[in-house]
Amino acid sequence: MDYLVAVLLPQLLHGLVFGAALGLLALGLTVIFGLLGVMNFAHGELYMLGAYAGIAVIGWTHSFWVALVAAPLIVGVLGALTEVATLRPIYRREPLYGLILTFGLALVFREGVRQIFGGDMRRILPPFTGSTPLLGMTYPNYRLFLLAASSALLLAIWLFFTRTRAGIIVRAAVQDAEMLDGLGVDVRRVFTLTFAGSAALAALAGLLLAPVFTVYPQMGVEMILLAFIVVILGGMGSLGGSVVAAVVIGLAQSLFSLWMNPQRVAIAIFGIMIVVLILRPRGFFGREGVLE
Amino acid sequence: MARDGVVLDVAAVSKSFGALAALAAVSLAVREGEVFSVIGPNGAGKSTLFNVVCGLYAPTAGRVRFRGREIAGLPPEAINRLGVAKTFQITNVFPEISVGENVRVAAQSRSADSGRLPSLWRRPDVDMRVDELLGAFGLAGRRDELAENLSHGEQRYLEICLALATEPSLLLLDEPTAGMTPGETKDATQLIRRVTRARGLTLLLIEHDMSVVMGISDRIAVLHFGEKIAEGPPEAIRNDPKVIEAYLGPPEDEGPRARE
Amino acid sequence: MSSIVTGRALLVFAALAALPAVPGVPTYYLLLAFDALLFGAIAMSLDLLMGYTGLVSFGHAAFYGLGAYATAILMERGVLSLWACLGFSVLVVGAYALVVSYFATARRGIYFALLTLIFAEVVYTFFRYTQTFGGSDGIQGLPDAELWRGVPIDTPQRKYYLVLAYLAVAYAACRVLVTSHFGRVLVAIRENEDRARFLGYRVRRYKMGVCLISALLTGLAGAIYPMRSAFATPDLMLWTESGEFIISVMIGGLGTLAGPIVGGVFFTILRDKVSSYVDWYFIVIGVVLIAIVLFMPKGLLGFRRLLGFRQWRATG
Repeated sequence: MDYLVAVLLPQLLHGLVFGAALGLLALGLTVIFGLLGVMNFAHGELYMLGAYAGIAVIGWTHSFWVALVAAPLIVGVLGALTEVATLRPIYRREPLYGLILTFGLALVFREGVRQIFGGDMRRILPPFTGSTPLLGMTYPNYRLFLLAASSALLLAIWLFFTRTRAGIIVRAAVQDAEMLDGLGVDVRRVFTLTFAGSAALAALAGLLLAPVFTVYPQMGVEMILLAFIVVILGGMGSLGGSVVAAVVIGLAQSLFSLWMNPQRVAIAIFGIMIVVLILRPRGFFGREGVLE
Repeated sequence: MARDGVVLDVAAVSKSFGALAALAAVSLAVREGEVFSVIGPNGAGKSTLFNVVCGLYAPTAGRVRFRGREIAGLPPEAINRLGVAKTFQITNVFPEISVGENVRVAAQSRSADSGRLPSLWRRPDVDMRVDELLGAFGLAGRRDELAENLSHGEQRYLEICLALATEPSLLLLDEPTAGMTPGETKDATQLIRRVTRARGLTLLLIEHDMSVVMGISDRIAVLHFGEKIAEGPPEAIRNDPKVIEAYLGPPEDEGPRARE
Repeated sequence: MSSIVTGRALLVFAALAALPAVPGVPTYYLLLAFDALLFGAIAMSLDLLMGYTGLVSFGHAAFYGLGAYATAILMERGVLSLWACLGFSVLVVGAYALVVSYFATARRGIYFALLTLIFAEVVYTFFRYTQTFGGSDGIQGLPDAELWRGVPIDTPQRKYYLVLAYLAVAYAACRVLVTSHFGRVLVAIRENEDRARFLGYRVRRYKMGVCLISALLTGLAGAIYPMRSAFATPDLMLWTESGEFIISVMIGGLGTLAGPIVGGVFFTILRDKVSSYVDWYFIVIGVVLIAIVLFMPKGLLGFRRLLGFRQWRATG
């Protein structure tokens, strides 16, 4: 029973938070793919850039909270610029080109960061320390904050997609991008804003999680691979599906880490993906009739 | 294997997408060699019916039999191999290869090597059939042109060539004259009728253009909100009050006029 | 079937064959040529997938690395026969490729890219952290292979001819393939996969087939690599390596077969010159990829298309 409370429960909570971050990334990928027709290989790098932008801002202002606002903004703007400069010209082309271009972007971002900040591991200190007794265990305050923050974020996103006009339009357009033309909205602006928004969210996730994990240029790579698995399992037709799949993978990752070393964990997650694909080739939420 | 000369037997087919019932217990039987048209206002379920028959969707209920054989739920490639070919409402050809290549790859799917190991190195000789098809539709001179460079009318013809190249016995045409001028439509209608008669094909047709439908059909079925509301020869349909109401009745119905 | 071996191709291969005979060609350049031709062969086999079928594989390096490890494992145990190594590679890479292609072709093309990437990452992780295969150091210090007993492939000239022979055979095979019935269907699948299905083609089988063929060709190239380098390491399977293959295809020109060979050669030489500035290297690669997509999507040879390389497009 002690084990359950002292070890398992915290790990479950870690998993939820990690899953929420993954969900943010997977959502961003899904929305960008649905709207722009581009699978953004550089999305993990945007997550990583959030952490590094945070490091830079904290360096100037010594405030984590300022960074929490500034870093996503910075990355969001970077995202908007990138989208206008590189993605806009290739909307109508075959999806193959988008893949390759974002792959190139990922390389540039990753290596660029390595050049500027060096390849060493960095740390961002949590803005507050201490722990709280909770359900029979003591849980670090910052992680509690993360739990609250990620829930709030997901709730906010859900509200955006279901209650705001902009969100409803985006959600519908993810299913069928052509309908945007008929609505009289400036399609290009929608695309740029969407991309910038996804980038900002990814950056926010990166910064929020940074005090818990170490910061290094490759950190986006692991996240993007997991995000791809989430997208494969959740399918890209359903936004809710992405979040559910992300939480499942996040929990699995967290729990497996209790018992296996990181490499085995990776292979175990991969194994889960294979099993699901065998049983449900379209993923959890695949749709019939769409010749996927 | 056609029983009583019935080539396609659609029996109480229903298809729902979530809460939306696109088709509700639609039944019809298409006989050998006839031209059978399916008409109805927008959203009536005509394309859904086609998509069920050719394998894109599996019906939620009901059966579809082709020459006595159950085909509901089979994948599109299997249904095509049994002898059912379809054209698309929105032109769906292979854009960046030539017209000749387009038809050739369609014709090749019926060659003996198709799907077997020798196809890795052999090139089946289908040139004669390609020439014949292109000639029948007046595309012989456009043979080396990229498909995407064809005029709209030519592309519609190419659509039909592709379907015919797979040597079907039942041809499903989804609005073959969509987007054509009245002159092109007339020519196309005659051409289609001539070609299908010459090959002894059975034709199942979706059309909005009433002149085409009335001129070419042996029998017509009318769909409205997913249900079949009438069936019979053109004369009967033209005068059927239910049909007239479906097209001209409630205000939100658009009918064929909206296309002008 | 004169279209298989054009006069142009024969000329090029003859010139390449004569290269070692040119007096004063240092070993370094011969081995660089080896790398260049090998890369070119891999890029060509990737073109079958990317250019002709429209499927991007981000995990091609796994096929390459597995082939290398297959050879290394045999040679480590004293089996030096070239043919045994090639045969074993076919088995290993073929088995892996069957599994990958089965899952990767189940859904739309985008999933193909994602799944090939994920599979390759798993393979990389497996070899990197498994001590039986040498962990991060891989298998080092391999001897020279043997053509048959008593005929070792030991000099740079022999190694060069090995890769040239491989390239010639692979090129001929690819030319036959793309002009065949199978090859035309691949193009149709690229142009409009759904339509191909409605014409009666079991599209998935074709995708699996081309994936398997491409994988085997790349795996065989990988099998040859340790015969020049004397090692096999996990780094051969990094996704950045896959990215380099993709660049080569793009530089050369999608769907031309010859283009990617040139692209692979060009890239290898470029890399050789640039990697002295190791730090910047990946940024250069990234920028090159972006620039190609934006400004030169048809690649180098794409421009030559205007001069008559149209074989894969309009006519059969």
